Amino acid sequence: MLVYIVRRFAGMMVVMLLVAMVVFLIARVVPGDPAAVMLGSSATPEDIAALRGRLGLDEPLLTQFLLYLGQIVRFDLGESIFLNRPVAQALAERSELTGLLTMMSVGIAMLIGVPVGILSAAKRGGLIDQTAVGLAMLAASIPSFWIGLTLIKYLAVDHAWFPVAGYGPPDADLLERMRHLVLPAIALGIPNSALILRFTRTSMLDVMSHDYVRTARAKGLPPLVVVLKHALRNAMIPILTVIGLTTAVMIAGAIVTETVFGLPGVGNLIVSAVLRRDYPVIQGALLVVSAIYVLINLTVDLLYAVVDPRVRY
Amino acid sequence: MTGITRRLFNTALGTTLAAGGLSSGILGSWTTPALAQQGGASVVTVATIGEPPTLDPVGTTSDLVSIITQHMFETLFTFDGEWKLAPLVASALPQVSADGKTYTIPLRSGVTFHDGSTVTADDVVASLDHWTKASPRGKTVAPLVESIAAKGADAVVIALKEPFAPLTALLAMNNGAAAIVPKSVIDGPGALKSLIGTGPYKLLEHKPDQYIRLVRHDGYASPAGTPSGYAGSRKANIGEVRFVPVPNAATRVSGVLAGQYQFADSLPAETLPRIKGAAGVKPVIVKPFGFPLMIMNTKTGVMANPKVRQAVLAALEPNDMLLAGLGDPAFVQAEGSIYAQGTPYYDAASAKPYSDHAAGKAAELLKAAGYKGEPIRIMTSVQYEFLYKMSMVAQAQLEMAGFKVDLQVLDWATLLQRRGDDKGWDAFFTYHTFVPEPSLITVLNPSYPGWWDSPAKKEALAAFNREMDPAARKTKWVALQTLFYSEVPSVKVGEFYNLAASSDKLTGYTPTPWPFFWNTDLKG
Repeated sequence: MLVYIVRRFAGMMVVMLLVAMVVFLIARVVPGDPAAVMLGSSATPEDIAALRGRLGLDEPLLTQFLLYLGQIVRFDLGESIFLNRPVAQALAERSELTGLLTMMSVGIAMLIGVPVGILSAAKRGGLIDQTAVGLAMLAASIPSFWIGLTLIKYLAVDHAWFPVAGYGPPDADLLERMRHLVLPAIALGIPNSALILRFTRTSMLDVMSHDYVRTARAKGLPPLVVVLKHALRNAMIPILTVIGLTTAVMIAGAIVTETVFGLPGVGNLIVSAVLRRDYPVIQGALLVVSAIYVLINLTVDLLYAVVDPRVRY
Repeated sequence: MTGITRRLFNTALGTTLAAGGLSSGILGSWTTPALAQQGGASVVTVATIGEPPTLDPVGTTSDLVSIITQHMFETLFTFDGEWKLAPLVASALPQVSADGKTYTIPLRSGVTFHDGSTVTADDVVASLDHWTKASPRGKTVAPLVESIAAKGADAVVIALKEPFAPLTALLAMNNGAAAIVPKSVIDGPGALKSLIGTGPYKLLEHKPDQYIRLVRHDGYASPAGTPSGYAGSRKANIGEVRFVPVPNAATRVSGVLAGQYQFADSLPAETLPRIKGAAGVKPVIVKPFGFPLMIMNTKTGVMANPKVRQAVLAALEPNDMLLAGLGDPAFVQAEGSIYAQGTPYYDAASAKPYSDHAAGKAAELLKAAGYKGEPIRIMTSVQYEFLYKMSMVAQAQLEMAGFKVDLQVLDWATLLQRRGDDKGWDAFFTYHTFVPEPSLITVLNPSYPGWWDSPAKKEALAAFNREMDPAARKTKWVALQTLFYSEVPSVKVGEFYNLAASSDKLTGYTPTPWPFFWNTDLKG
């Protein structure tokens, strides 16, 4: 297992290096100039050129790239052009929000997706199954930004049960900040619950057709024990995979949701950085997000061994 | 709320979260909802269109930066309700020598910075010197400046190489601002080392993309006089002004309707009925606000031919473009005069070609220009949706007149970069916020993309800038506008107004292009 983990980490380093190179090149190939954005639309080319010089953007691309690589190997993500702080600090400031939002939305997606998926499989072909599958299809088809705007209209504006946007006032405690994340988490969780539901249902149906389940039933075990103890444990590997994938997808989905709800998370940071061409932030944030993707994949792979003793690394 | 109260709902939610296994330590802090705190008497929360690129008001002309920083930084002069010059850190308007080259500016005594120190003539000299090096506006003045020096402890003298009438307006602008700051925070032409000004509010905290907190500057020394526009007495009645970036316009509208924000800026025109129909909120329409422009490349390519540009002007029907862009006639005015009605530089006669549109006339002009069907590359951006819609209409109208149009839809950052390359485009769409001094209009700057700098324009602009007498300046401005409509460096599409919304509880608010919150109060 240890050898496997070390090998995966080495592979991760290579992936990260490639990501760093690709992101650097894409950021620079795409037109747009942070100096022009910073100075406003009235700025003249002379003003822009002067600021580019101060920011070091007039250096040859290769020089900039080598400087960037030098930073990365020192685990330094550089300094944001706009935020007046190191990229690592900016990311750290936003990570609480995005982490909480992802956990809450994954939680919502799992709380809906897994039990309803199991129930749907257990009642295959019945009214519950058909309704669940139909609703799942609907939930998967609705974009999270639309769900977000609808939730804002009914639960925030009309009833004032939740705040419309933001991450709480400056003196907000953790619970208050979480309250600001309830609507975004629902908006993000609902479409993803559909995916988990369908995977859970399919996986359960597959497992429940096996002989050992039939044997368990024949032994006279209660249906709940058969489904939850015998079938579910063996159905967990595909379900874990989809939860892992969903978590990764949600980090990307958070970009839209954070924009709709005015949340200062990592997604919002990336969008703003792209619009402003804040190269160090684009590069640093995408590098960190890619690392999280890879780590989630690794975690899911390791969890296979936990839920299924037959899996060995 | 009917049926279920908010308190009951919060209790239920708290219980649910508790049942979900949250620690008792966290639950112990479940007390005050954010909405109640934000609605507190001393905090005004303002939803802005986004995060400002900087909080240093000197180096940028961004409107968003000026909206926020004008509460923190002050200039020697400002504008009153009729856009006339008024003193701010200065104690009176400047004494100008007979030859128009020497400005003696008396300073108010007892003005303090946010760090408690008193403003001295040395600070003012250092600030103005910094402005000439760091500000896009200051840099336009710099070549004309002979010297900036203190005259005793309470006056400053600016000596110019030649008369330059726009100087005082440039000194009064709140963006690219000649902000008065302590000498100690100036670091050559770079950004200020510390954000310390003399304004009625000072910076408490800045969390990028989350909030900017400005709190009352208790040692503030206000100018005297009845408040008028940005001039006169300034009272910081509100304890804290909090600017919250909310880039999504629909969220800004929802937030102000829900009472989370007491003011929301730049809202879509189509939301006016929703705001009008809501309890506790009132719409704010800002007139004058700005004008969309189709800037043409007068330096290179097919548009360098003035006849082609005249054909563009004849081909476009501004009213269609305005309605397509803004949707509601209440927010637009098909107005050719660069300055709108009611402002000192308004002149309709010299803007007559604005309304002489006809596809036939455009086709004739194109023929006379020898146009051979070269594609006209027009850059536009969906980030400003109203500009994008206008450019779509322009494309159709130009094609009807015989132009071949290559409409390039770009993101704003790309457009800003590409417009610097005179060989890369023929026209682009942008907008200009109202400015009280004509020489601040970007298209008059020969360095600004479009590069309008014909000998006639150069002469007319120089004559306008040299003229010190207000009445004679108006005549010279009319000459400049006449030239604008014969050489057509840009098409002014018309006037458009800004929609904002404010809570009923916010009183004393004056609608202006750059909203400010001194002299406002919160009821209840």
